Amino acid sequence: MSVGKEPTRLGRVGVHGALIFLVLFSSLPFIWAVAQSTKLTRDAVSREPVLWGWELTSNAYNGFWFDGKEENMWGVLLFLLGTATVAIVVAALGRRAEKGAPYYVAVVVILGFAMWLFPRFFDTATEYEFFVNSIIVTVLTVIISISIGLVAGYALARYTGITGVVILIAALAFRALPRTAFVLPYFQIAQSIGILDSRLAIVMALVAVNQPFTIWMLRSFFMEVPKSLEEAAYVDGANTFTAFRKVIAPIMWPGVIATALFTFLLAYNEYLFVRVLAPTNWTLPVAIVSLTGGESSRTITEAAAASVSITLPIVIVIMLFQKHLVKGLGAGAVKG
Amino acid sequence: MTRRTFWRFVLPSAVVMVVLMVIPLGTTVWLSLNKVLLRSLDTVEWVGFSNYTETLSDPDFWSAVWFTTIFVAVTVPAQMGLGLGYALLLDRVKRGRAFYLASLLLPFIVTPVVATIIYKDLFERGGLFTWFIESFTGEPFAITDGNVKVMIIAQAIWRVTPFAMITMFAGIQTLPEERMEAAAIDGAGFFGSLWHVIIPHLRTIIVFVGLISVMDAYRVFDSVFVFAGNRFESAQTLQVYNFNVALDANIGRVGKGNAIAILTVIGIFVVLIPFLRQSYREQIEERG
Repeated sequence: MSVGKEPTRLGRVGVHGALIFLVLFSSLPFIWAVAQSTKLTRDAVSREPVLWGWELTSNAYNGFWFDGKEENMWGVLLFLLGTATVAIVVAALGRRAEKGAPYYVAVVVILGFAMWLFPRFFDTATEYEFFVNSIIVTVLTVIISISIGLVAGYALARYTGITGVVILIAALAFRALPRTAFVLPYFQIAQSIGILDSRLAIVMALVAVNQPFTIWMLRSFFMEVPKSLEEAAYVDGANTFTAFRKVIAPIMWPGVIATALFTFLLAYNEYLFVRVLAPTNWTLPVAIVSLTGGESSRTITEAAAASVSITLPIVIVIMLFQKHLVKGLGAGAVKG
Repeated sequence: MTRRTFWRFVLPSAVVMVVLMVIPLGTTVWLSLNKVLLRSLDTVEWVGFSNYTETLSDPDFWSAVWFTTIFVAVTVPAQMGLGLGYALLLDRVKRGRAFYLASLLLPFIVTPVVATIIYKDLFERGGLFTWFIESFTGEPFAITDGNVKVMIIAQAIWRVTPFAMITMFAGIQTLPEERMEAAAIDGAGFFGSLWHVIIPHLRTIIVFVGLISVMDAYRVFDSVFVFAGNRFESAQTLQVYNFNVALDANIGRVGKGNAIAILTVIGIFVVLIPFLRQSYREQIEERG
């Protein structure tokens, strides 16, 4: 729907003008970061900001990803472009076919293989390890959260007993708890069973704190699936689990993707848990913050380059699945 | 669905929540009654409530409570008002909507620590805003104890507004066209239909966004930590204060840190209990 009367031409220009202003307001720090990341340090810290015509350099990216060692930038670029193209082509095929799983698995396998191949051709810095950690932690968190949340969300949408309501409200209460209410026990437990500084510890912590949100959101999607669907399956002699697997789960892709997107953001962006549970085996957010801690001006451009690098995967994923994000929030909010 | 099947489906999720949330929370309560230091986690000495009394008489704690309260009280309404404005504008365009939506979402989806680092960079030496401010006032500009709180709050509003925007935008999409036409026939102007049609339609969404925003603003950590860290002690929220007490490399007072965490939890539940009861009733009714 459109609020208000049919807009006049002037009104339309006004609306677009306001939106463009808001887009600039939202993205100015990002534009500035992209600019800073391509400058020489002396230009980046000059008192009067260099607004155009600066000498372009890839020093900052080289510094962050390759410890400043001279690298064949063209090789790296070609490699990145090649991987991205393959991934996008496969993802596009998946969207057209609306088949789901096999295509997403194929994209993950291709990207995983490329990530494994990369350090074998190029001399990467430790930051590359952190990037790999980020990806592994994110993928595992998404897969585990969604798998256990999917069955729970379904049961919570269909079961009418009081236990279901109690679990839902308890989950809502847990959603409100701050990280610090858990992080110190996690630290102690992880240390005593010897998984401190491992990806496993981070994944477990993230799956746990994300579970309340996951079951609420997936449940709101299941609530929209009419009961008659599985009732038809029962008539055909299916039990609850078969009906869920064969009839309900396949039409849940939009809900799964929307929930997975939020889980992806949560895991990829996590700072506090990683900082505490992984003293050396960081993911990218911790690596970036550690860059800005010192007062050395050399790191200003490097921090900008790191920021741009960590933002790029998010932007790509959100651009591909933007539609699902809006739908997901709509469903979650209107129903939940 | 039978009780048996229900439990079979819910079990994995329930086990995760009990083992990794309920039990750790219990541990936090227990540790808060003991003296534990980060360097020697195995030495646990029972001290009763002294961690709590010490926290409650710590001026830093009250300064954190105060700043957290201001932070929530300013960012949540600002975010919701602006979010509604963004959503209404977005609803009025057809061409380029996907582009606008994606760009406006950027501050919300980007890693919070990154969004803070690049925002802060604007105000550092050589930053764009530093230069603007300096050319206006003619005086050198630096982030100080005085202005850092304003910057933290402004940054938070900038970062979280897209969340309110996208949920309200999704809500506006479900508003039937006829309701708006009826309002227009009755001679309602823009503000009339906003007040009498759109806001009532968005009521549940406004409550939902408000609830989530209060939860998230109350436990904000990443952005404030990057901005203030342990440099500006007056600009610490409860979570940052908690982190600094519990995990400081030199002292690391885990017991006191857990006491602060429990006080923080009590604080959010005082606010939350009416909403939890309300949701409980709604769920019972919905069950039929």
